[in-house]
Amino acid sequence: MRASLFITCYNDTLFPQTGRAVVRLLERLGVEVDFAPAQTCCGQMHANTGFRGEAYSQAKRFVQLYRDTECVVIPSSSCVAMIRDQYPALFEELGNDDLRRQFVALLPRVFELSEFLTDKLKVEDVGAYFPHRVAYHASCHGLRGLHIGERPFRLLEKVRGLDLVPVANVDRCCGFGGTFSVKNADVSTAMLDAKLTDLLATNAEYCTALDNSCLMHLGGALHRRNLRLKPIHIAEILASTEASTT
Amino acid sequence: MSGPIMDPRLAPPFPEAALPILQNTQLRNNVAHATDVIQAKRNRLVAEKKDWHELRTSASAIRAHVLANLAKYLEEFEANCTAAGGVVHWAKDASEARQIIIDILHEENATEVIKIKTMTSAEIQLNLALQATGITPIETDLAELILQLGEDEPSHIVVPALHVNRQQVREIFARQMDLPQLPDDPEALTAAARTYLRQKFLSVPTAISGANFLIAETGAVAIVESEGNGRMCLTLPRTLITLAGIEKVLPRFDDLEVMLQVLARSATGERLNPYNSLWSGVVPGDGPQRFHVVLLDNGRSEILGRKVERQTLQCIRCAACLNTCPVYRQTGGHAYGSPYAGPIGAILTPQLEHMRHAQSLPYASSLCGACYEVCPVKINIPEVLIDLRAKVVDQERLESKRLTDPMYLGMKAANFAFASASRFRMAQWFGKLGLRFFSDKDGWIRKLPSIGSRWTLSRDLPAMPDQTFRRWWAEREPERTREAKPEREARSKTEAR
Amino acid sequence: MTASSRHTILDRIRTATADDSNRYEDLPRSYIREGALQSQARLQLMTERLHEYGAEVMECTPADLATAIAHQLDLSGRHQFVVPERLPEEWLAKGFTWLVDQSLSNDQIEQCGGVMTAASAGVAESGTIVLHHGPTEGRRVISLLPDFHLCIIRASQIVETLPEYFARTPNPPRLATFISGPSATADIEMTRIKGVHGPRFLSAIIVRDDA
Repeated sequence: MRASLFITCYNDTLFPQTGRAVVRLLERLGVEVDFAPAQTCCGQMHANTGFRGEAYSQAKRFVQLYRDTECVVIPSSSCVAMIRDQYPALFEELGNDDLRRQFVALLPRVFELSEFLTDKLKVEDVGAYFPHRVAYHASCHGLRGLHIGERPFRLLEKVRGLDLVPVANVDRCCGFGGTFSVKNADVSTAMLDAKLTDLLATNAEYCTALDNSCLMHLGGALHRRNLRLKPIHIAEILASTEASTT
Repeated sequence: MSGPIMDPRLAPPFPEAALPILQNTQLRNNVAHATDVIQAKRNRLVAEKKDWHELRTSASAIRAHVLANLAKYLEEFEANCTAAGGVVHWAKDASEARQIIIDILHEENATEVIKIKTMTSAEIQLNLALQATGITPIETDLAELILQLGEDEPSHIVVPALHVNRQQVREIFARQMDLPQLPDDPEALTAAARTYLRQKFLSVPTAISGANFLIAETGAVAIVESEGNGRMCLTLPRTLITLAGIEKVLPRFDDLEVMLQVLARSATGERLNPYNSLWSGVVPGDGPQRFHVVLLDNGRSEILGRKVERQTLQCIRCAACLNTCPVYRQTGGHAYGSPYAGPIGAILTPQLEHMRHAQSLPYASSLCGACYEVCPVKINIPEVLIDLRAKVVDQERLESKRLTDPMYLGMKAANFAFASASRFRMAQWFGKLGLRFFSDKDGWIRKLPSIGSRWTLSRDLPAMPDQTFRRWWAEREPERTREAKPEREARSKTEAR
Repeated sequence: MTASSRHTILDRIRTATADDSNRYEDLPRSYIREGALQSQARLQLMTERLHEYGAEVMECTPADLATAIAHQLDLSGRHQFVVPERLPEEWLAKGFTWLVDQSLSNDQIEQCGGVMTAASAGVAESGTIVLHHGPTEGRRVISLLPDFHLCIIRASQIVETLPEYFARTPNPPRLATFISGPSATADIEMTRIKGVHGPRFLSAIIVRDDA
């Protein structure tokens, strides 16, 4: 099985360790990982902020880049949601027949990481070891956009040594919301406070999610307040073994 | 005391309006408590309803069908209402609606008018206009009464006074009803309101209502309520004026079997609200003998014509989206500067203003999608929010102020950077260099300038790692790394075939 | 005259919906149209829901109706009642004052401690009583102003689901009031208070005409 990694613009720049973990994990599972260096961004930030034409030019690049790929794996549920939920309308409105065909053909081959593991590789026990107390934050795009459901839980539950603790109000937004975190910084912070209250009540050592965007927001406040709870992308947990723990 | 500004043309942008409210702990606690209570009730009753998904599908389909055939159903409603003894008026905009209502009231020599809560009358700013012409509007919903006597503004569509606690209500009633000994328990407060209002119900001959639904088939109006003030206003006066947005119509009487079920569960977490009233025109000997319906456009027909936005008009004003919204939970309704708050307010208000005002509202959302999940008529609010943001930006593109707006320039710069891998790598390099200036010794960034400062208000930013992922990959796989651009890759593939 | 506004608005609407075609008959309706409960269970559900609202509920056979009425009126502690024009004579129990509504004034209605009416339908799922305000239910005002409402409903009038009520009502009523509990408000700190306007006390007698 070959998979092409779409690292996402922000993971590439700010969270390369997540990308490295994805590569380590997938290779351990026997997947041949590919990386197309021409990649940049899926267009979500522009689409969500109202820069439609700009988002389309990025979407077009994405589709053309992966036209011949066996499948694309993306460690970011919000980017996959962008591709599934918003690309259709963008291509409908701004694309041509050829591009629309390419997009439709590519779509079933695009996976968020946890979906790729459970649905494509059909694996839940990825041979991971992570002996820590972990709270899972349900990123909104994964939860409602991708209907990711139980997948991350099933994967985490099979990690040796991992103590997965339930979080109150687990489906309530953390307040990141992309540019919302800056355009409405005060409200974003209030939502962040509420989410941290619920997370800290679990006494977990780590908070994990499918998206580093949420984790950057949560982690930024945790660091500011000098709190013990550490953010970690799910890929890094799943990539951990006795030999190489994060 | 001047209350919050609820006029979208005058209200400050959402982030500015939200700030003082975020510092008001009591209000935030009240909002959280109220929305938690209603949500819990709603969730329990939705779980109990085995055909909830089917009802939602039908409710959404019925509302979409009505909008697609709106002219036909409005004409049908008008014909049947008129045949039943009602008088139907058509108002293009708020100003016309106000004038029609005032003209009717002047004909009646009305000096007072009792009102059932209607968002639409707040939308057209009716009360101020009535007062200016010497007519006193009297709100009869308990919450609206509290707000009116307290010179305050609603903060929620269904529970408008949820930001007010019992001590505050006691103070307001004691003062305005001249009841200095009034205790502050809700029972006593409600009893005081009952007595105060009963006298009004029995003496004021004109009433104004909104409408939950208009039934085209029979020319009927349906009102859903809990307190009984609706029944009082609909039954006791001599003259009744119903103000309704043109989108409120349903095709047939039977369609209520779907709408009433989804509305009650979504709005108050009940199987049906205590009183649902339905009447067609004028019934000799029973209730008002003069009945007027004012059909209000005020921007709705414009929304109707837009493919993505049309679904906004499917709304049945249940406020389930408010109750579930994590943004609304923090700010309550006043931050939205409009009678329509929360997710529906964020999409409806700017559109009713023809996108000339309230442009900050489509951004008052983290796009979490919780609203879409609970909407009984399946309005894809996030989809509309994003489309409205595109409209705001398209306006911005024509304005010179965009050239000094850091957000706008940042987005244009990012787009430039994303157009090719080499540009992107360059941007990463520059970014790292630039951010180094702001990094502390431990590598973390605690303070940024300009828009960045809004991030560092409450969050640190990790320093950019020394090596990006793509650098790491390139070093790991030098022979497999293709530096070619996408188009060149495609060409080489074609050649290879 | 809003004739020109009418024209303008309809014009705008027609332009906005020019390309739409969507048939009413094709609308999806897979929701529950018919209840599954047998009559005993259905009545039990109705009673349960009414009790949840704090209403008094009593069952009786048709033969015992007059006695049941007298009993409920006694329990209410009230003495003067307003009634619609065409209630059966035998319902007007002795020992109470009856005001038959032939255009009574509001003041006269206010003198009455309670009202007694029949009903047009009941919906068990939501504990709803439906009035169409015909001659055995009376003008809307008489079931609104008094503080106590005694409602006589036949078992055969009670359906389980709301769609069943609509299925049984092929001619839409000119007037209808759906009563699902006494009036209530939760406007003050979300504390539910019973009885703001409208009768605070509701009693129902279910006549077992289904035996």
